[in-house]
Amino acid sequence: MEMKKLLNDSKKLASQYTTWVTFVGLLLLLSVLTKGNALRWNSIRNLLIAESVRSFAALGVGMIIITKGIDLSIGYVVCLTASVAASFAQNPDYASAIYAGQSFPLIVPVVAAVAAGGLFGLFNGYLIAYGKLPPFIATLGSMSIAKGLQLIYTKAAVVGSLNQNFKNISQGSVGPIPNLIIYVIIAAFIVWVVLRHTRQGTNFYAIGGNAQAARVSGINVERELMMVYTYAGILYGIAGTLLASRLGLANSLTANGMELDAIAAVTVGGVSQSGGVGSVSGMMVGVFTMGLINYGMSFLGVDSYYQQLVKGFIIIVAVYFDMKKYARRS
Amino acid sequence: MESTFALEMESITKVFPGVRALDGVTFRVKPGTVHALMGENGAGKSTLMKCLFGIYKEDEGTIKLNGEIHHFKDSHDALQNGVSMIHQELSNVPERSVAQNIYLGREPLKKTGLIDHKRMNEDTKELLKRLEIDIKPDCRIGSLSISMQQTCEIAKAVSYNSRVVVMDEPTSSLTDNEVAHLFKIIRQLKAHNVAVVYISHKMEEIFAIADEVSVMRDGKMIGTYPVSDLSNDRLINLMVGRDANLRFPTVKSSIGEEILRVENLTALNSRSFKDISFSLKRGEILGIGGLVGAQRTELMEAIFGVRAIREGKIFIKGEEVSNITPRKAIEHGLGMITEDRRGSGIFPLLDISTNTSIASLKEYLSKIGLLQHKQLKEEAAKYNEALRTKTPTMETLIQNLSGGNQQKVIISRWLMTLPDILIMDEPTRGIDVGAKYEIYQIMCQLVEQGKAIIMVSSEMPELIGMSNRVMVLCNGRCTGMLDKQQCSQEAIMRLATQFM
Ligand SMILES: Nc1ncnc2c1ncn2[C@@H]1O[C@H](COP(=O)(O)OP(=O)(O)OP(=O)(O)O)[C@@H](O)[C@H]1O
Ligand SMILES: [Mg+2]
Repeated sequence: MEMKKLLNDSKKLASQYTTWVTFVGLLLLLSVLTKGNALRWNSIRNLLIAESVRSFAALGVGMIIITKGIDLSIGYVVCLTASVAASFAQNPDYASAIYAGQSFPLIVPVVAAVAAGGLFGLFNGYLIAYGKLPPFIATLGSMSIAKGLQLIYTKAAVVGSLNQNFKNISQGSVGPIPNLIIYVIIAAFIVWVVLRHTRQGTNFYAIGGNAQAARVSGINVERELMMVYTYAGILYGIAGTLLASRLGLANSLTANGMELDAIAAVTVGGVSQSGGVGSVSGMMVGVFTMGLINYGMSFLGVDSYYQQLVKGFIIIVAVYFDMKKYARRS
Repeated sequence: MESTFALEMESITKVFPGVRALDGVTFRVKPGTVHALMGENGAGKSTLMKCLFGIYKEDEGTIKLNGEIHHFKDSHDALQNGVSMIHQELSNVPERSVAQNIYLGREPLKKTGLIDHKRMNEDTKELLKRLEIDIKPDCRIGSLSISMQQTCEIAKAVSYNSRVVVMDEPTSSLTDNEVAHLFKIIRQLKAHNVAVVYISHKMEEIFAIADEVSVMRDGKMIGTYPVSDLSNDRLINLMVGRDANLRFPTVKSSIGEEILRVENLTALNSRSFKDISFSLKRGEILGIGGLVGAQRTELMEAIFGVRAIREGKIFIKGEEVSNITPRKAIEHGLGMITEDRRGSGIFPLLDISTNTSIASLKEYLSKIGLLQHKQLKEEAAKYNEALRTKTPTMETLIQNLSGGNQQKVIISRWLMTLPDILIMDEPTRGIDVGAKYEIYQIMCQLVEQGKAIIMVSSEMPELIGMSNRVMVLCNGRCTGMLDKQQCSQEAIMRLATQFM
């Protein structure tokens, strides 16, 4: 009897913190399998760096999913913003640079990319909030538009030969801590403040939970929706900048498929597709859980075809348990 | 062998995190009787019925139908075995037709395995005709009024030809005529030896239709009594367990200057209300009466900016407000408790604290624009305490509260915005008798502070007992304005049926 109760209680607790349990479980599994080798600071650091850019995309789409939306345009918008950033950071003596012979202050690529991302977000947001397009369709369209713009802008060429100052944005570090990790912490903190401590954040949850009730409660649903897509766009712009800086180039394949990774990560992190639920800590744990899976399997030498398979199953299982929490609404 | 009971639930216990919703409850219903299940908000009535219907799995206890032990794994299983239920909250698919909703999950099929739409519509027509319900089988259920939708749910529950029919507050949005109609249907069921479990907070209904009454309090069964052994006061006493004040408070407010004026308001939808004018003064409670379909809710929604208008003017505190939206309305001091709790009231996945404070966040910002969580929580808790919202904590998700307690949270939400004009559309729907009078008391306090209230209500006693004046609508038109002296049930009914 006591045993049963204990089991029940731990089950309840586990279901409440599915994401954390998955994450810690994987971490333990990996450390056992590799006899602790996988968990050296160096490896962890690499993992964090590898996931940092995706974190920005996840934070953006996480907020969107809280409002019961979705964004399929992430991958190509990040690709576009990376190309925009890179184009303003090419060495002036590089013959096939987009602006050959010109050099720009470091602020230009950053601002240009963030502006491009923000504008795209605004566009998505406008279509969805005021045009009343379903988010799936609106962002499906803008995904293709972003891809087209990127190809036109770069003439389908690689934007390479970036100057060292620009590359240092991502590649530098403060003491032992890589810049990228610091950026992620700052971004996560800001999004946390917005979601937890501002009126707007509360409004996002309310809109996702019951848009009609939100409207009746005096929330400007249209404006808030437009804003959430714009914020996400700005985050994608930052992601693009950091990605170009880290890779030292941008091309039409940069960030391809990032929308799926980001959506999968936040979903694993407990952001519910039915809207109105999710937290920044969940989103971040989701990102690192997915990262850990990738990284762990590579470390163990799992064939990359199988990696894809395992990843798919893990997403489904994590979300399955998460959905059970909300299944019995009455 | 026939068992003496159609339904026996023995020592049912159900625990939710932080609440013992049912504590060894035993409940027995005889066939061919109407058995009322009574209790305050949160007593455990709906939970008990959900255990029967396979929506919740009870932790302990047994359920017998006709003497045989049954445990339904889900609602489908229950329906198959002769138990059907009208849920407290509407549970239809708004985008589909009436027929599709009634036959949801058991559509008649053709030989080819495809849905036989023709038969489905004909069967529905037949059913509605038998029950004398005037609704077309092929109209979209979401386009019907809430009361019509509830009537469809009743038809649906009856259509299963079950041995046990559970009705969880079936009349919460029906008007008197429709209630009378429902009672006719219930008597038909009784004649066919069906056991009906009837949950309602409306006393007069219990005495009109029930044969036996079981009373629950705080998750426990207090007892079962033949209705003839109970008086109104005794029943309330059993439910509440304390002395409750059950008189309409006398409104002692003094009528002040005009605070809201509506001139020739006409809805964009030409079948809705037309040419409505009235004025509301500080310290006044204006009741809005009428039958279902009289467009009362639509009128209120238009004043609050939820619904579009074609013509007309709205003046708040002397200032004309054009192109009104809910946000503008709130800025001008309006508040509105909507009729459809599920559709436009609750945020199911947010906690009680946020559900209460969501419309007043603006007033609780720190200097740098961040939310002051502590004050928000305290203030939200204060309003919920005043209304006695029954909940384990303020962090409980609102979807885990009983229906009546959800309603109290919504009322708290609008009280917290400190509105000058509060529109209340069926404010006491689903609220237990005790709490009802607490709400009346609060309405009184509001008008005594010089605020004004518009109350739409289908409950005559409430309308007559609380209003300074009653405006009656019929088919979208104002058929009269009655002041306190003229106000009687007959006068309201006469005006409400003027164009019929
Ligand atoms: N899914 C749930 N999770 C947690 N608590 C719940 C859940 N459902 C009900 N409860 C709790 O169980 C208690 C009984 O609720 P129930 O809905 O049965 O009340 P009720 O008697 O039907 O009240 P009402 O008259 O307001 O409809 C309440 O305290 C409620 O908060
Ligand atoms: Mg109930």
